Amino acid sequence: MPPASHTPPAPAPSFAIQKERTRFLGLTLDECIQGFFGGNAVVAVIVLGLITLFLFREGSSFFRQNQDNLSIYRQAGLEYVDFIRTQEESHTALTRYLSDLRLRALRHHMDADGLAVADANARLASFDEFAGRFSDAVEPIRGLRSELGDVAVAIKTRHINNLNRIQQRAQLVAAGKPDEAAAVELETIDFAGEIVALTATLPLYEEASGAFATALNEIVATPPPLPTLELTARVARFQELTADYVATFPATIEAMRAWDHTAPVAFSESFTAFIFGREWLTASFWQDWYGVLPLFTGSLLVSMIALTLAVPLGVGAAIYVNQLATPAEQRAIKPTIEFISAIPSVVLGFFGIAVLGEFLRVASGWEWLAWFPGFPFAERLNALTAGCLLGLIAVPTIFTLAEDAINNVPRAFKEASYALGATRLQTIVRIIVPAALSGIISAVLLGLGRVIGETMVVLLCAGNRIAIPDFTAGLSVITQPVHTMTGIIAQEMGEVVPGSIHYRALFVVGLLLFFIALLINFVAQKIVRRYKISVG
Amino acid sequence: METASSAAPLKRSLAQPPSSSDASGDSTLIDIQNLDFYYGAKQALFDINLRIPDKRVTAFIGPSGCGKSTLLRCLNRMNDLIDGTAVKRGTIKVRGVDIYGRTVDPIELRKRVGMVFQKSNPFPKSIYENITYGLRIQGVNNKTRLDEVVEKSLRGAALWDEVKDRLHESGLGLSGGQQQRLCIARTIAVEPEIILMDEPCSALDPIATAKVEELIHELKKQFTIIIVTHSMQQAARCSDRTAFFYMGKLIEFDETRNIFMNPKNPQTEAYVSGRFG
Ligand SMILES: Nc1ncnc2c1ncn2[C@@H]1O[C@H](COP(=O)(O)OP(=O)(O)O)[C@@H](O)[C@H]1O
Ligand SMILES: [Mg+2]
Repeated sequence: MPPASHTPPAPAPSFAIQKERTRFLGLTLDECIQGFFGGNAVVAVIVLGLITLFLFREGSSFFRQNQDNLSIYRQAGLEYVDFIRTQEESHTALTRYLSDLRLRALRHHMDADGLAVADANARLASFDEFAGRFSDAVEPIRGLRSELGDVAVAIKTRHINNLNRIQQRAQLVAAGKPDEAAAVELETIDFAGEIVALTATLPLYEEASGAFATALNEIVATPPPLPTLELTARVARFQELTADYVATFPATIEAMRAWDHTAPVAFSESFTAFIFGREWLTASFWQDWYGVLPLFTGSLLVSMIALTLAVPLGVGAAIYVNQLATPAEQRAIKPTIEFISAIPSVVLGFFGIAVLGEFLRVASGWEWLAWFPGFPFAERLNALTAGCLLGLIAVPTIFTLAEDAINNVPRAFKEASYALGATRLQTIVRIIVPAALSGIISAVLLGLGRVIGETMVVLLCAGNRIAIPDFTAGLSVITQPVHTMTGIIAQEMGEVVPGSIHYRALFVVGLLLFFIALLINFVAQKIVRRYKISVG
Repeated sequence: METASSAAPLKRSLAQPPSSSDASGDSTLIDIQNLDFYYGAKQALFDINLRIPDKRVTAFIGPSGCGKSTLLRCLNRMNDLIDGTAVKRGTIKVRGVDIYGRTVDPIELRKRVGMVFQKSNPFPKSIYENITYGLRIQGVNNKTRLDEVVEKSLRGAALWDEVKDRLHESGLGLSGGQQQRLCIARTIAVEPEIILMDEPCSALDPIATAKVEELIHELKKQFTIIIVTHSMQQAARCSDRTAFFYMGKLIEFDETRNIFMNPKNPQTEAYVSGRFG
């Protein structure tokens, strides 16, 4: 080997790590991919933002319009007349109590005394006379209300027509036709002057009300005899109710006296009238109400029925499939349940109308199911029918997510439990389900979100009666027909005039749904996050 | 005949005095004979014959995959939880009772043969609930009794002083070493006769390991302990007997001293002197 100094140093091998990258439009491939996916994400976020914005834009002016709607209601005196109407309706409720009483008595005569219908009816002649007098006592009040109502509606109609003309004129001006605009005649409505026609009748009403009170007291003082103690007790109850009713008369008069057609309607009243309003009444000749409560409670009731069915089914199936099933069963059950979510909901709705609703109605008549609340019922389409189908729709969501949550429980927990001598059932109940609980709860919440947002099934099967379900009926409330927030939008959106208050009200219902969905998802995510930390 | 209560004969027999004893005078508690074990079609244990003495610490050593855990999990039938596993030949007797016998209830067996796992696995519950779990599932709900057992078990696992003020906090909030001792406490709370430990220290730092090893010394007064370990030092430090496994076979079983100082089998010698494994 020659000494190192004699050979020229070998050139160091170059440290070649640079490489020219292919570029498209000046971007590397990496940057293109990043841009593509980033772009998609941005589009998704923007679309979501636009939807929110759109809902807000269309819905927000509802509250202003509703404020006007409520103002007219007051200015034109409809509110005033409704004091009397309320009184009249309470009386109607009392007569319904009497009809119910009569039905019970009739049944007693037929069942216990073995009378034929005609004879049983004959026995009730004195009762009928009593009920007839009670029912007729309201006539003077009703007549007064009817007259005053006509006056109020006339004021309102003139006002509305005038508003329409103002709008027409504004449109003509905008269209550059000032002459035609000037031709549109406007009138100034002297509400104060007109309303006197109503308020001036107060002494008349006071008199009628006093006479009404006296008449009622007189009538109920001598109740007809009824066959059983139980029925007699009901009559006593009726007397009490009537006394309570009569006791409210002075307050009504007081309220009418204090009523002022010029009192402004606050913006917040428009808001509360929507959120807590107990009536959703549109295209009415009297007064339109946009109260979301009947729809909200309807949605809630149907959803609760759905969850009552879907939670045990979905969570139970998830536990079974994950913990107990053989691999063959797993392969069979999982896709089957997941298939349910592939059924178009309109098909389920058809099934609900044609098969399930009819079946439930028939089943409700079976003797051995009579213990079930609300059975038997006559309406084929009701909250129960819709709730059953919605439950079916929620099962796959709950099942899939709950199964996921259970599957995420570390196997080590299960082994530790078995190693301490626990049985399979104990391990499931005491270890696995608690460890997966937050995951299961969020699965249920997302199932709820799925159910609340479902439209087709409720529209077809829920019965679409707009009224707050009568929760005083106890559990049998589930067999009442209801309407829902989603259903009302689908049903009415096609018919409304764009821009009208009704149109905007539907948007606000949509907005409310949107917020409910948002809230449910938010809570579900919060719960899942907490779960990750605790088991982590 | 005995199907009505399959557990009773096992319990009764476990309480009987030992029937046999080995050369060094220790009585045999577990007697494994000609055991072949399969995961599906794959044989994991080949003709194992082993007599594990009572109230001693027995270590299972050997390279990974040689079947130590598999054999350990045969002893409380944890392998039953894996589909397709089977003891195809041979018997395992505890105090003369075949634990794979037709009338044996594995649930009862596991109450008598506790297990501590490689990775500590307290339940996501409070320390108190972790320890009382084994009793609660047996239907014990008496508060005073549970309190007693909690204190006794935690003292037994040398954890009492560290956690006595936070019994109702989550067991997952403890350090790794404390969690492992909590798992030991949870196991001794049901008063098993045998405790199986599958590499209980492999995830612990040296200080926590030393504590667990100390604990093992204490526990062997009351329990028969079988410990799987990767660390030969640990086997040498804690065990009385050592069994060396290789490729699913038991190669050598002897006093720990003999295995490390004077192995008879060249494979054992190669392993303990660190030439493979
Ligand atoms: N659940 C299982 N299914 C199939 N084979 C397994 C299973 N568990 C372990 N084995 C196999 O059994 C052999 C013994 O494994 P194991 O007892 O875990 O070894 P060690 O605990 O000594 O490292 C290994 O070959 C392993 O691959
Ligand atoms: Mg192992």
